[in-house]
Amino acid sequence: MVFLKRHLPLAITFFMGVVFAMQYYVPHPASEALLRDASNWMIIIGGFALILGLVSLIQLHTNRIQKHMAGWGYSVILFISMLAMIIAGIWASGENIDSTRTLTGYGWAYSYAMVPLQGTMFSLLAFFVASAAYRAFRARTREASLLLIAAILMMWGRVPLGEYLWEFSGDIAQWILNVINSSVRRAILIGISLGVVALSIKIIFGIERTYLGGGKE
Amino acid sequence: MSYSSPSIVSKMLTIDRRFIFLLIALAVLIPLLKPINLPIDISPEVKSIYDHIESLPEGAVFLISMDFDPASKPEVYPQAISLLRHAFQKNLKVIGMTLIVTGTGMAEEVMASVAKDMGKVNGEDYAFLGWRPGASAVILSMGQDMISTFPQDHYGRTITELPVMHNIKTLRDIDYAVSLAAGFPGIDEWYIYGKDKYQFELGGGSTAVMAPGLYPRLRAGQINGLIGGLRGAAEYEKLIDHSGKAVAGMDAQSATHFVIIILIVLCNIFYAISRRQKDG
Repeated sequence: MVFLKRHLPLAITFFMGVVFAMQYYVPHPASEALLRDASNWMIIIGGFALILGLVSLIQLHTNRIQKHMAGWGYSVILFISMLAMIIAGIWASGENIDSTRTLTGYGWAYSYAMVPLQGTMFSLLAFFVASAAYRAFRARTREASLLLIAAILMMWGRVPLGEYLWEFSGDIAQWILNVINSSVRRAILIGISLGVVALSIKIIFGIERTYLGGGKE
Repeated sequence: MSYSSPSIVSKMLTIDRRFIFLLIALAVLIPLLKPINLPIDISPEVKSIYDHIESLPEGAVFLISMDFDPASKPEVYPQAISLLRHAFQKNLKVIGMTLIVTGTGMAEEVMASVAKDMGKVNGEDYAFLGWRPGASAVILSMGQDMISTFPQDHYGRTITELPVMHNIKTLRDIDYAVSLAAGFPGIDEWYIYGKDKYQFELGGGSTAVMAPGLYPRLRAGQINGLIGGLRGAAEYEKLIDHSGKAVAGMDAQSATHFVIIILIVLCNIFYAISRRQKDG
């Protein structure tokens, strides 16, 4: 069992890691074919991940309903909505529109329930951002003051009214984005990338094994 | 010199959030009902995407990956409309797809409606490939063989039988690709797994909140342009001289930004007064 649970996954990880790290630098047709096949495997595995997600979602919400946990009614609504969408989807063969470009039941539920609901959730952010900005954006320290000034300049310079009232505000916002923002983001990106490289090497060589689960051997 | 009474200052600092919500609602609604159409300046990052599409010859292959979900529709959907209108105006071969399953319906809808408006024929002038699971693996696979990644288009037709797909085998055959993204997978993945390996020109469109994070890629030339949020969409609508929902929304965005600025300034004035009262 240790072989199947530990040694075999580690060997596969090492083999695939080394092969595909080298593959990037080998433009031979055989190497390209290998990448093509592996990409297709990943797409198939991606499909299975959806099933896994669905099963996990069902387990989580069934548990919430069984134990009458706080907000369990929402879990019931989730199941009803999910079932309705699945039935509508199967009924319409997964098509949003029919051959005459009329919305199917599935397309109707997508266009008139899912799209506006998700849009509403995202739009609510504007209200909460405004409320949070009023309460939290205070010049308590020098750093907070800098953040405050940068935020005001960005909000001012990124809308037509700001540029209309103060011609150079757009240029200032653009400069903040291009120079200060880019340099800081680049530093963060380089840090993250180096971390990813280090972690990948640790995984390939079996030093990092937490992805295998089960804690220590 | 006397300051405002402590009770007024503390009341203003802990103002009922519903009052702020009402202000924001009015700032959005009034400009939408009574637009003043303020002039919109064009930023270089949006202009460079427009210029690149302008520079493409008729029949060049343009791939648009609409990697956004319904939550990001207000910001990114107008970008898709403008880009598609421009590409169809230029008589490019347009290939549409998405890496986000919940965005498939919107992506199909925008392609079909803009193509219909511009008198383009599905399969001849454009193709919509739909969605495949796997995110970055889909990009890698398209780089190796687009036909095995998408054997059929979204409508179930064999991809090799579509005239628009003739001579398009891999991502290397794409002249210009734009990813309109709202998160993962999106522009980063298209650069890392697509452009970097298969050497095609890449542009990006994103939500406003994502845009600052993409500036390092823009400055390094990893993407040749960036359409950021509703503002970027409005700029593109101006460039193609076809004002739509993005231009209409800019007055509302202007008003909302200024309401937030005024709220922040007021909050800080009250905060400074309260600190002086405490110190005094």
